Amino acid sequence: MSRVYDIVGKVGDEQAFRQEIRDWLAEKIPAGWRARWQGVREEELKAEIVAWLEERRKVGLATPHWPREWGGPGLPFAYQIMVYEEFARADAPELDMYTISLFHTPATLFEHGTQEQKDKYLSGITQGTDIWCQGFSEPGAGSDLAALRTSARREGDHYVVNGQKIWSSSSMHARYCLLLARTDPNGKRKHDGISYFIMDMHSPGVEVRPIPQITGESEFAEIFLDDVKIPVANLIGAEGNGWNIAQSTLSTERGLLIFGAVERLAHSFGLDGREAKDTWMRDVQHRREYAALYAELQSIRLMIRQLLIELEANPDKASPTLPTYIKLTWGPFLQRYTEFLLRAEGLEALKWQPSIPGTGHSSRLRMNDFLKSYGWTIAGGSNEIMRNIVSERILGMPRG
Amino acid sequence: MSDDLDLGVLAGSFAEMLDAEWPREKAVAYARADHLYAEDLWQQMAALGWTALTVPEEYGGLGMGSAAVAALHGALGAAAAPVPMLGTTLAVELLLRAGNAAQQAAWLPGLADGSLRAAVAQPGDTVVAADGDAVSGSVANLLDAASANILFLRAVRGGKPAWIVLRSDAPGLSVERHALTDTTRTLGTVTLDGVALDGDALIVPADAAALDDALLRIAALAIAADAIGGGERVLAGTIEYMTVRQQFDRVIGSFQALKHRVADHQTALVAARGLVEYAAGLAADHPQALLMAISAKQHAARAVAEIARDCIQLHGGVGFTAEFFPHIYLKRAKVNEAIHGTRPVLLDRIADMLEAA
Repeated sequence: MSRVYDIVGKVGDEQAFRQEIRDWLAEKIPAGWRARWQGVREEELKAEIVAWLEERRKVGLATPHWPREWGGPGLPFAYQIMVYEEFARADAPELDMYTISLFHTPATLFEHGTQEQKDKYLSGITQGTDIWCQGFSEPGAGSDLAALRTSARREGDHYVVNGQKIWSSSSMHARYCLLLARTDPNGKRKHDGISYFIMDMHSPGVEVRPIPQITGESEFAEIFLDDVKIPVANLIGAEGNGWNIAQSTLSTERGLLIFGAVERLAHSFGLDGREAKDTWMRDVQHRREYAALYAELQSIRLMIRQLLIELEANPDKASPTLPTYIKLTWGPFLQRYTEFLLRAEGLEALKWQPSIPGTGHSSRLRMNDFLKSYGWTIAGGSNEIMRNIVSERILGMPRG
Repeated sequence: MSDDLDLGVLAGSFAEMLDAEWPREKAVAYARADHLYAEDLWQQMAALGWTALTVPEEYGGLGMGSAAVAALHGALGAAAAPVPMLGTTLAVELLLRAGNAAQQAAWLPGLADGSLRAAVAQPGDTVVAADGDAVSGSVANLLDAASANILFLRAVRGGKPAWIVLRSDAPGLSVERHALTDTTRTLGTVTLDGVALDGDALIVPADAAALDDALLRIAALAIAADAIGGGERVLAGTIEYMTVRQQFDRVIGSFQALKHRVADHQTALVAARGLVEYAAGLAADHPQALLMAISAKQHAARAVAEIARDCIQLHGGVGFTAEFFPHIYLKRAKVNEAIHGTRPVLLDRIADMLEAA
């Protein structure tokens, strides 16, 4: 017999809030989801995710970090953090496919969208009906994103878009795309003349081709755009201001999104060591390596917490450098830790296994997690670009 | 007073004095001559109350905690200051944890005003048999023994772990000094030949293991902070050099192969500093206080030793000369790695703690 949960109503009493989430999670996390989701067909997976999103929506936690006016619970930031901590601790499934929808789209629309755009698009996200993708990178514009060449030409009440996008996660399932395209090819700097659009993925001329990945999945795809018409009403912000707006989109990756990923790993890190007490934790070399990695993991968790504290106090005054340090530390740490587990666990860890969606970077399928770690060292500005940023912009060393 | 004094202000005042009184030229010159410790600098520190930092107010101190310890040792590490502050920090902790009222009254005021300079044995140092009224034996490689005037040695009495506290000028006690490559500190071999144990000389802790842990925690925090301070300073100085040194008609700091190494060092320091500050801010009775302190020590000491090693390489030929500063930090970093728990020892302890969690 299910009881009625009032999680949001417990705000003000931290302990009661956490306890209510824990009770709710204990009852509602889809039983045996890891086994069931492993290698599942995409349509079944989508149904599972939508069902879990609906369960979360009933208690106001479909979008824990959204303000009340847009259908979120309006939680104080400290409570948002608690939600993600408790989700990680309970191993609640992540809403794969919905990452862009839940984080990047609101980060963009809350700040830069028109009232009409917010009214039209945000409810489709909380209902789980609309999946969003991001059309930023191109074959010739990866780390050098501002070099993008997809063009948008104004013709009357719409733009005509031609070009190609790549590395677009979940775009094969997406209804909408956050699209960057060049409206003015003659801008003074390459950052000028880029505009930001909402593109309906059902528009004629949009073709999506999934890309097989080294993990065996095809989680991202190429998008080919051939004379795609986008109504002028779908322009976000002013024409030519797309680069600045894209910074808002990307800033979301610096806060709760990375926090959730790291907390999830911290949880599985503890399990990994305890479960190995009769195997590799009996080997002095592996034991010491594990103990050394513990300090690194803690240092990353502390940096993220520091950033969250600063973001809560004043998003405009939060450290501009901390996100770069976090990215440069977290990705390589994840890669070395998952690689360590491969060595510690030997051939068993190298067996092919279908991946488990919803587990972030902590599926605990060792090879899958290791391979997936490149997502943090290459995507979102490769770490080589981050090293340029640290040395040139933060430390003031001259450009080469 | 407690830790409500702003730590940032405190750290700023430490740095300001050391920048003025112990600039890089002085550190380089000091490293090239024969010294026991920087006596003038020690006197100035004492006059400013730094040696009184953790001593309770009733003994003339400031009564501050481990966060302040980290701030002070971080500043001393940044300056590579040749002063035996670690001995004072550990001696105060030892006396507060296990000393009786008479022992506290006898020594805390002197530690606070800097007239006493302590050398405190590390884990693993020789244990002196102290069953009679006098002790004999030898303790090798006691850190800062030669510059100290009071020694805290590990002992055993009646089969129980204990500490003995001896003045360096006690009859029968002699200290033979060994120079370290790190000229900011020294080692000494202490020889005891029938040294009398007076009434206050013996400390018998109720829980010797708990005392060892408390001392390890404070030593780990002080050394980790020292390491971070040194790492930041040697990297900053290296970046400074890289922006003026020209080869192939450009400053070497514009070469990406070098810049990326610097970026990695900087990132490692930012991450490690956060860990050290967090560990230092935990109350001594926090369940993770020791785990975090020794995690911070093994991690910071290793990371900084590696950064200091690379800073000499980034300097090129001048980095190999005694006229430039980086070698001072490399040598100090290597000692930081070696004292109060080498990395394998600490990692084994951390693994034990993680398994028990």
